[in-house]
Amino acid sequence: MNYPVWYLPETGGGLLIALIAITHVFVSHFAVGGGLYLVLTERKGLRENNPDILAFTKRHAKFFMLLTMVYGGITGVGIWFIISLVQPAATSLLIHTFVYGWAAEWVWFLVEITALLVYYYTFGRMDNRTHQAVGWIYFISAWLSLFLINGIIDFMLTPGAWVNNHNFWSGFFNPSFWPALFFRTFLSFMLAGLYAFVTCAFLKEQGFKAKMTRYSGQWALGSLALMLPCGYWYFSILPEPARALVAGGSPTIRAAGEYALYALIATLILLLLLTVIRPAYNNKTVAILALVPAFLLMGAFEWTREAARRPFVLNQVMYSNGVTLAQAKELQGESFLARAKWATVHEARDENLTEAGAEIFKFQCYACHTIGGLNNDILPKTATMDFPALHGYLLNVIHKRPYMPPFLGNEQEAMALAAYIAGELHGKSVDPALLVAPSGQGQQLYEQNCVGCHGLDIIQEWAAGQTLAEIVAGLESLSALNDMMENFSGTTAEKELLAGFFRSLAQPQSAVDMGRSVFEQNCTGCHGSDVIIAWAEGKSVSAIAESLLTLGKLNPMMAGLSLHDDERLAIATWVLSGRKGEEL
Amino acid sequence: MIPLIPTPDTIPTHWGYFQFFLLLTFPLHLLFMNALLGSSVIAIYMHLKGSTQSQGLAYELAKVIPLLIALTVNLGVAPFLFLQVLYGHFIYSSSVLMGMYWLMIIPVLLTAYYAAYLYDFKFSTLGRYGVVTLCCAFWGFLYIGFMLSNNMTLMLHPETWETYLKNSRGTFLNTADVTLWPRYLHFMVGGTAVGGLFVSLYGRWIRRSDRLLGDYASAVGMKLFLGLTIVQIAVGLWFLLALPQAQRMLFMGGNNLATICFVVALLLLATLLVTAFKKKVYASTTVLFGLVCTMVLMRDFVRGGYLQEHFTLEMLKVAPEYSPLILFLVTLVVGLALVAWMVRAALTRCSD
Repeated sequence: MNYPVWYLPETGGGLLIALIAITHVFVSHFAVGGGLYLVLTERKGLRENNPDILAFTKRHAKFFMLLTMVYGGITGVGIWFIISLVQPAATSLLIHTFVYGWAAEWVWFLVEITALLVYYYTFGRMDNRTHQAVGWIYFISAWLSLFLINGIIDFMLTPGAWVNNHNFWSGFFNPSFWPALFFRTFLSFMLAGLYAFVTCAFLKEQGFKAKMTRYSGQWALGSLALMLPCGYWYFSILPEPARALVAGGSPTIRAAGEYALYALIATLILLLLLTVIRPAYNNKTVAILALVPAFLLMGAFEWTREAARRPFVLNQVMYSNGVTLAQAKELQGESFLARAKWATVHEARDENLTEAGAEIFKFQCYACHTIGGLNNDILPKTATMDFPALHGYLLNVIHKRPYMPPFLGNEQEAMALAAYIAGELHGKSVDPALLVAPSGQGQQLYEQNCVGCHGLDIIQEWAAGQTLAEIVAGLESLSALNDMMENFSGTTAEKELLAGFFRSLAQPQSAVDMGRSVFEQNCTGCHGSDVIIAWAEGKSVSAIAESLLTLGKLNPMMAGLSLHDDERLAIATWVLSGRKGEEL
Repeated sequence: MIPLIPTPDTIPTHWGYFQFFLLLTFPLHLLFMNALLGSSVIAIYMHLKGSTQSQGLAYELAKVIPLLIALTVNLGVAPFLFLQVLYGHFIYSSSVLMGMYWLMIIPVLLTAYYAAYLYDFKFSTLGRYGVVTLCCAFWGFLYIGFMLSNNMTLMLHPETWETYLKNSRGTFLNTADVTLWPRYLHFMVGGTAVGGLFVSLYGRWIRRSDRLLGDYASAVGMKLFLGLTIVQIAVGLWFLLALPQAQRMLFMGGNNLATICFVVALLLLATLLVTAFKKKVYASTTVLFGLVCTMVLMRDFVRGGYLQEHFTLEMLKVAPEYSPLILFLVTLVVGLALVAWMVRAALTRCSD
């Protein structure tokens, strides 16, 4: 809202950040753990008076320098570049809040590169004691870099007391600081062992290769054993809702968790193979292969950490789209475009609906959604919704998708965004008249009591198939539908007027049509129809309807889904019609 | 007031601290960047020349180029950080406008860095491909310099930012700015000249192990320095004339401090020409250091002049929090002491 958005809808900024960041952390953690590995391996060589180990250490130092100082150092700057391009508002806040933390980190970066250059270029030419001291300086400065960056990264997930006091130290030593620091430290030691397999693989003398492979494997195994409880510690201190998301609440985090588990098992198997069973198996291919699951593990971890703070980029402070929580509160029902400095239009009108919608998409949705790209593509996610459904969905996104920022803007802007997605992106008809209800007292009551949260389409879906009495009963027990709603407290006459209005909206629908509508309203945000067909495989209508009552067991995030009996039956009927070959 | 300019975030200490750190660290970045440019140009020339002595010098420079990249990048981080604290709302916006080119700096730098290491570690086996490798790295340095010049001028011209409303894909460059080319050349030509002086200085170091090669390096470096400094005077004049009158006049009485800086710079330049002509390497280096610092100050006056109608540093709101500053200062003292100890150990406690 405050900054321009670098708009590459078919790629997405998130993918660019991920590409740079995940490869960077995979190398930068090695830069920390590898420092300790180097200095201790050199000491081992000195103590055993073994020139082979010293030669190995020097060779590994060269590999280490070329990877960590060049790739690690430059991609570190690269992360800074890409986040300031993709998330300028968040980057600015992090830079301004922690500027002296970053500045201190820069000092350790300087010490690090000086130490590494001195360590490598004087290897074998400097007296052992001084050379070891330089090695220790390298490791400690690299670890202090991790220490500093860890505080700032974890601030993004668990800002803790900073949210209220804006104190540097509160933000830095935030609730996840210590578990994350220990977790990352042991992770870096594990990576040091795994990366060392590569240098080991180049050793020609088989016995020595096996010895150093086993030594490196012991490093990695021991570190892995220490890393796992720290990982649990890290997870256990996460506040809600991040913890629920990581525990499986988010389908995408759950998928990442599965990858992480497979990667962990693969790492463990490879480590046991190369350490305990047969170190001689190590060769260039095996060494590279051993890094692959570790890379996946690292990627899954970092991805989960980033995703766990959704819908925020800075938890409880700033939404993913750069709008702060404070700005969002000011914006409630107000025009978003009027405040979006870099938008091409500053007001959504009937004649510029699509253009205004495109701008809202750019400034509110693009932070997470691509258009036809690899990452979180908006097209399949909205394919099953038509214009009224999208409009209603946007107004209720805050209730239906707690990991998405709320829609920010006025009614006309919600219509504009729905028009852009349904009309421009999907080529569906966009008729604002569909959102307009007949006039009358019932409508007035609706506008006074319901319109703030509910579009007519939702009401229409809800009322479909219900008798007047059932609608009245429903109005009296709205809190059962959703905790956020209060039961309608009007007089009996008002209830009947409102129910009559709702009834007039609801067109008679077949069970199949109703099922499709209910599905679109409640499920399409996460699931395509193929998912529900696969899930319903082999079940009868009543079994499907019954299972829809207990979706919370499948995924805690779905526990809040409350469907009317008719709606469940309608979904079941619709799904079965699809199974029989009819188009869903 | 241009409505596109974002609202800045608050800063934790008075802006003067950041300004001080910015002006302190930026000259260091420039000096290493200059050494890198000059070393690369001379190494390419020496490689092409092909004599045993010139190949020897190319190899000595090959060893030092990756180190210079490491330090140039590191010493670029600090001023860029402080720049973002003071002018973040300008630099983030201009970066997005040229996002595609700006981000390309990273892969280009990575390629150049690896090319430089390849040139060093495979110097003898690369043969004639060595010069191609180094040219590749050098092209990368020129690209990065051009993009930095672009961004540093684009951030000063919020009146051009409206182009974003037509194109938000990050493919805009500030080429319509008449100061862009003289500014870029000022950095590249001047930088290469200073790099010549660095090679000359480095020659003094080489001399300890190879007297002839050291003297050769010093002579070649000083020749480049002197020659390009004269070209640089012309480029500098072009740059000065290309500046809008309001900014130019800052140095001619418009602002007392800026005018003093300009006069001091001219005096230092004259002194430098004399010391360079007399081939006094250490004296030239000392004068040059002062000149670069003075020019960094002048550059800051220009920036302030451009932005004056939109923003001054006094406008930044301070949410005072001084304890992190102490953390940084303590870290800086400890860090610099460690760096000094290690460099000294590398220079004095090594057997050749």
